[in-house]
Amino acid sequence: MTEHSFQPLTIGGLPPAERTGHGLVPKAPASGGEPETRVVKTACRACIANCGVLATVKNGRVVSLRGNPEDPMSKGRMCAKGLSGIQALYHPNRNKYPMKRVGPRGSGQWKRISWEEALDTIAKKLMETREKYGAEAVFCSTGGGGNPEIWSIARFCNIFGTPNWFEPGCAQCYLPRVVAYTMMYGGVDPSIADSNALELYFPEDTPIKALVLWGTGPAYSCPASGGGMVADLRAKGVKTVVIDPRFTPDAAKASVWLPIRPGSDVALMLAWIRYILEHRLYDADFVMKWTNLPYLVDVETKMLLRSKTGSAPGQPDTFLVWDRKTDSPQPLEYPWNDALDPALEGEFMVDGRRCKTGYQLLWERCEEYTLEKAAELCWLDGAKIEEAIRVFTDNIPSGLSLGVATDQTPNSVQAAMAAATIDLLLGNVERPGALLQRFRTSGCFDMPNYPVPVAADRLPPEQLKKRLGGQEHKGLGIWWAGHPSSILEAILTGKPYQPRVWIDRSGNKLGATADSQRWEQAIHKLDFIVHMYMYPTSFSAYADILLPAQEWLETDMLVETCNTLVARQAVTHLWETMDETLFWSKLAKRCGELGHEACRKAFDAEYMGHDLPYWDSMEEFLDHWVNRLGMSWKEFAAKAPIAYLPKEQWRSYGVYRKPDPKNSGKPAGFATPSKKCELYLESMLTLGRTGRPFSGIDLEPASRDYDPLPYYLEPSESPLPGSEIAKEYPLVLTGGRVPYFHHNTLRNIPWLREMYPAPELWIHPEAAERYGIEHGGWVWVSSRRGKTQAVAKVTQGINPGTVYMERFWNPETLNTETHGWKEMNVNMLTKASGPFNDVVGTYTLRAFQVKVSPADAPPPGVWLNPEDFRPWLPISAEPTEEVRL
Amino acid sequence: MRQMTFVVDLDRCIGCKGCQAACKLENGVALGVGRNKVCTIGPSGVYPNLQMYFLPVMCQQCEHPACVQACPAGACYKDGADGVVRVDRSRCVGCGRCGRACPYGMIYIDKELRTADKCDLCASLRAAGDTPACVRNCSASALCYGDLSDPDSGVSRLLAEAEPQHVYTLRDGGGGPTVRYILRRGEWVDVLPQDCVEHSAHWKGGPK
Repeated sequence: MTEHSFQPLTIGGLPPAERTGHGLVPKAPASGGEPETRVVKTACRACIANCGVLATVKNGRVVSLRGNPEDPMSKGRMCAKGLSGIQALYHPNRNKYPMKRVGPRGSGQWKRISWEEALDTIAKKLMETREKYGAEAVFCSTGGGGNPEIWSIARFCNIFGTPNWFEPGCAQCYLPRVVAYTMMYGGVDPSIADSNALELYFPEDTPIKALVLWGTGPAYSCPASGGGMVADLRAKGVKTVVIDPRFTPDAAKASVWLPIRPGSDVALMLAWIRYILEHRLYDADFVMKWTNLPYLVDVETKMLLRSKTGSAPGQPDTFLVWDRKTDSPQPLEYPWNDALDPALEGEFMVDGRRCKTGYQLLWERCEEYTLEKAAELCWLDGAKIEEAIRVFTDNIPSGLSLGVATDQTPNSVQAAMAAATIDLLLGNVERPGALLQRFRTSGCFDMPNYPVPVAADRLPPEQLKKRLGGQEHKGLGIWWAGHPSSILEAILTGKPYQPRVWIDRSGNKLGATADSQRWEQAIHKLDFIVHMYMYPTSFSAYADILLPAQEWLETDMLVETCNTLVARQAVTHLWETMDETLFWSKLAKRCGELGHEACRKAFDAEYMGHDLPYWDSMEEFLDHWVNRLGMSWKEFAAKAPIAYLPKEQWRSYGVYRKPDPKNSGKPAGFATPSKKCELYLESMLTLGRTGRPFSGIDLEPASRDYDPLPYYLEPSESPLPGSEIAKEYPLVLTGGRVPYFHHNTLRNIPWLREMYPAPELWIHPEAAERYGIEHGGWVWVSSRRGKTQAVAKVTQGINPGTVYMERFWNPETLNTETHGWKEMNVNMLTKASGPFNDVVGTYTLRAFQVKVSPADAPPPGVWLNPEDFRPWLPISAEPTEEVRL
Repeated sequence: MRQMTFVVDLDRCIGCKGCQAACKLENGVALGVGRNKVCTIGPSGVYPNLQMYFLPVMCQQCEHPACVQACPAGACYKDGADGVVRVDRSRCVGCGRCGRACPYGMIYIDKELRTADKCDLCASLRAAGDTPACVRNCSASALCYGDLSDPDSGVSRLLAEAEPQHVYTLRDGGGGPTVRYILRRGEWVDVLPQDCVEHSAHWKGGPK
């Protein structure tokens, strides 16, 4: 066995002569005969879009990738990230074997070990920690980019008995939208980057006339699927409104661009709602009959008035409305009673209690947000705001796709609630053209997006109550997740208890978590760290064990794309990499062998029931799901992609209107407690007080009730007049995507880094002049938490008070004392401390204050010229057998 | 004579640069050079009233290519069968005159092969009945290719459907570029690809 370091020039073992600038030279066949060539239909996972791919394999080498035209979303296209799959697969710095640290933390000295030794070492440490300190002292994390293993991690934690797993995404990425749309209408959220808004992928069919892209840029986040789809819609005349601080490609092609001040989105949304209510632009019939806005709310308790509760599970309660015919409160039996004339607006006394309609409370909430006020708060032009609203309201059906931007400030859930309110007021739900839909699914698996069952019920209730941040931020319960900043605080303070062991799979926690330097402090307090990924990242430098994960071209997975089921198929297998969906099963097995009762029973089919017993191979795992189609995985993979339903049947419009035989033929309604769209979101109160419906047991109430209506929260670091912090840090920072990377991935890919070698800081010429910054010059960007560098892009495409910086880390300086995460890392500036979003605990990744100043030079050791990236060109590697344990 | 070339719908191009990666993968293009490139044109105007579009550029398949005229070795030639400008590597001496002659900077010396290299509309793919890699991978279906001399080809039909005032070529120094750009929304800006620096870290300072 040899000791390795991550020195980019020494790992890999091939002389430079074999590295060619021309990618991979296919190996000549050993026999000298015709090369064996096959084309495998698989699916990309360079981001989360799962675009269909045709991979050509010649003599065991992957030599070519192209889009699969059978894919209904990407339609045969691939983006720069996906096309880099070969450079990622054969990267000289792949994690090839399990390794253990042999020098001090950060020394970069590693020794190759066997998978048996790695699993033994980890399992023993887990068991020892559980014995001494309780299972909650172990925590796990995952991250987007590469192969998200979100449910695998949650499942292992539930079975092992720790309530603590987290993702720097979750409350900062997507979960706030999932919470709001799930609770308000019970269907899928309209995020294009999360492969929703599926109505739009059939441009020849959809009648949509106007699309609002709010804090999302499909051209950058998912060019081959969403980016192309929006281009198709624009080409057929669909009008677009783009709300984004940056002048992005989608902004440049929009009918109206609103360059909003970062963090002020909810103020603008409340102005949209106010305008829609004031000008009676909403769908009056839908609002009256299919939302809960006419229902009466007790002003003191904030709860809706009920005449009776549902008589059986699935039966909605009967709520009170104010009947204008009789001028009295009357029960409105679901779904509707033509004999009543419910008041939409107003304040009434019912049995001595002061009550208002939901509509009235919504109006009062948004009343102060006039166009003028929104213009002032959001740094916009009032007439432009009105023009944007009119594009949306005058072109029905329309739809609002909310992106990740609003998930990255503490106002996250409220932004999603307000966005949902805007679409629902217009009746833009479950009709042709609407983004909010409950289309059919294959039913091949039960979890969202990724089939591993999370086994939530396996976590003992006393352990669930120990979830860090779980009491205060109960919305995280929708994904059974812990709260990153609460875990960070617990590590640093030992309160309420001391986390000790960390297993992580992700691109780079030091590049992805807010206030990275505090996470580094936390790392040094831990007993044991495991990092599993496809290649080493900054985080690896601090680990005790490194595990080699598979690249997407090595993995199998079942993927659902619109009306189609796709097989991601292992095209090859290299070194001793392991599929992560398998790894967690192997770890549970070893813990079971060491005496962990729940881990042992997790392999018992009868005991696990619908949670599925753990699997010994990927084939066994995948067979289970495709058996529902009456096929084995092998049979399925040979036929896939397959359309499981014709698109017309798959697109099930108007689900809420369909008769429900289980409820005397009444309309099925929406998947909410009242079966109406709950714009007055009473269930927020229940969630905050009990954790239900996401928690299976009642939890202690949060310190404050969650608000049933969206409210605006000015960023705690604000640039508005009177702000103290703005005197020293005058500029608002925002983030965003570029089309070359997904989260913190792919910074080690030569083709991508030659195009985008360093994070750009977008700054307006006036601000640049004020702070002495030149286009192409290096700058220091500082916040209250830290400072880092970027290269200035001086552009008119951003407000003079705003700057934009992309996430970054530098794999080329992994073996220096920075470990690649300090040179150009915007997350040294972001904020992991409160205020947090009340419902889900979102911290601040965007909309905080920074200052900029010129830097003399780029950070030492970073690579900027195309030729610099030569050491990262692919190396040749022969296929190997899967690891058998 | 047949003239295979590109027609690019600039209203569609979303600037994702997937075509650059697709070309590199298909043609094994070395680091630091490229057979194609997407230029960001703008933003022009004053915040917040701005215009911007993306301009994919590649060999313009000129009628009278400057590179062919400049080549002392007879390596650069215009293929009589399809009008595509090609390099015969067996003849190329790597002198680089073609690169200096090309008004668009779209032919260059490949340092490893020590010969000129340029876009040939993925000749080997076309020979196998396939489509150029950039075209088939274009996320926004902005890139099209076909025979300009055939009025029934896809590209000819696209041009026929466009208003004549919306069809542009790069600045013509006499070579007669055949690549056509359609820009309906926005104002055409006369720039050359070599003047477009896409990433600010590559900016070496502009005209003072």
